[in-house]
Amino acid sequence: MANNTDKIVCRCEDITESEVLAAIEQGATTADEVKRLTRAGMGHCQGRTCRRLVNQMLARALGQKPETQRPITQRAPLQPLTLKALAEYKES
Amino acid sequence: MSAHKSDAVIIGGGIIGTACGYYLSQKGLKVAIVEQGYLCSGSTGRCIGGIRQQFTSSGSIKLMMESVRHFQNMEQELGTDVHWHNGGYLFLAHSPEKKQAFLSNIAVQQAAGLKDVRWVDADECREIAPGMDAAGLLGGSYCPSDGQAYPFAVVQGYAGKIKQSGGSIHTFSKVSQILQQGGKVTGVKTDSGREFSAGVVINAAGPWSKDVGQMAGIEIPVEAERHEALITEGVEYLNIPMLVDYRADGGYFQQYKHNGQFIGCYSPVPNVPGHSVDSTFEFLHQMPKRMLKLVPGLKDLKVIRQWAGSYENTPDGNPILDRTGLEGFYTVAGMCGHGFMLGPAMGRVAADLIFSGGRDMPYPEFALKRDFSQAEAMK
Repeated sequence: MANNTDKIVCRCEDITESEVLAAIEQGATTADEVKRLTRAGMGHCQGRTCRRLVNQMLARALGQKPETQRPITQRAPLQPLTLKALAEYKES
Repeated sequence: MSAHKSDAVIIGGGIIGTACGYYLSQKGLKVAIVEQGYLCSGSTGRCIGGIRQQFTSSGSIKLMMESVRHFQNMEQELGTDVHWHNGGYLFLAHSPEKKQAFLSNIAVQQAAGLKDVRWVDADECREIAPGMDAAGLLGGSYCPSDGQAYPFAVVQGYAGKIKQSGGSIHTFSKVSQILQQGGKVTGVKTDSGREFSAGVVINAAGPWSKDVGQMAGIEIPVEAERHEALITEGVEYLNIPMLVDYRADGGYFQQYKHNGQFIGCYSPVPNVPGHSVDSTFEFLHQMPKRMLKLVPGLKDLKVIRQWAGSYENTPDGNPILDRTGLEGFYTVAGMCGHGFMLGPAMGRVAADLIFSGGRDMPYPEFALKRDFSQAEAMK
């Protein structure tokens, strides 16, 4: 539960440091699990900011180097696109 | 390494595995869930969260009515907000044949006890789904008590209860062997060499259930098939039910009540067999076309993510819930894209069968050895 000293980790989904730590406490060992438990990385930017923070927190909690943590799966589109823009795409 | 001991080992940490585990735990059994990835990493975590009772097999209709009752009470039962919302399902008929099929289905559904399903004409469809383009629409099959929930929360809710009851969840543990002695199952072994012993083993491996069956020499007629999905940003809730358009260029999508995101997919033709969960650009521009054809007003809504997941199909579109030739080894799989919605009732029924050891199958149409030629029409 967020309190007023809690840091925001995922800005899109308003996920705080304590929520990510709670997910790790619950047994998450990968960023993809943290994502599914908390929604960190599920918002508009798909984790541009939070994926590094989540990996650092996981690595610290698990006694690993951050680079050993696989980043969350990033998916298309790379940036949000309107339904109209996508629907109007014509194969050449 | 000494073997982990429990009463029941469940292979698969999706909705079916955790629901079976929850109901067996409630009966006092010590349960171990053995999952090759993490909870929800297979089909459940990739589904779009729709929950409908409009089926044509009486078993599926009854199970789904029970599932809806479970979903309604889940927040209280599991102590987790699963975002249940009865937003309804509207199946659209654009041809006289489809209309006739829906009218027949509605009669079957009502006879099975689903009282609020009804035929609605095109004008009423427009009222039910504000902003929908009803060109060429003859009407639809509408059930307002159908709904939606959030798969991750449901599975986590079940998993939490399993752990509270003394059970355990073993993620990143891939089963490589079904252990047996004298025609009875004795447990499983994972690819790290760890043994989990139990007198009951449940194959709830979804798209991988055929592979798991083969480890015990048992043929499970379940084939994986890739489906893709996308989700948009959230906007205010527009009271549009799940729209299901069966036309060749149709699809199905709904808006989550809890965060306003639209989520949807379509069934690929031809189908894409196998375990691949790769995404395609074709889907990313086809799905928006199909959504805007039905609700043009959504044009400025932004798509934020696409992904893929597996359906686990049986030849007739009905699940498999049965014991097998190996005593103590059960299969609860082949949900044909309806695992999340069937999960709560399926888990309860499977747990009752396994716990009681009764010989009478609760749903004979879900038997492992059955005539698979009668297809579920609303597959």
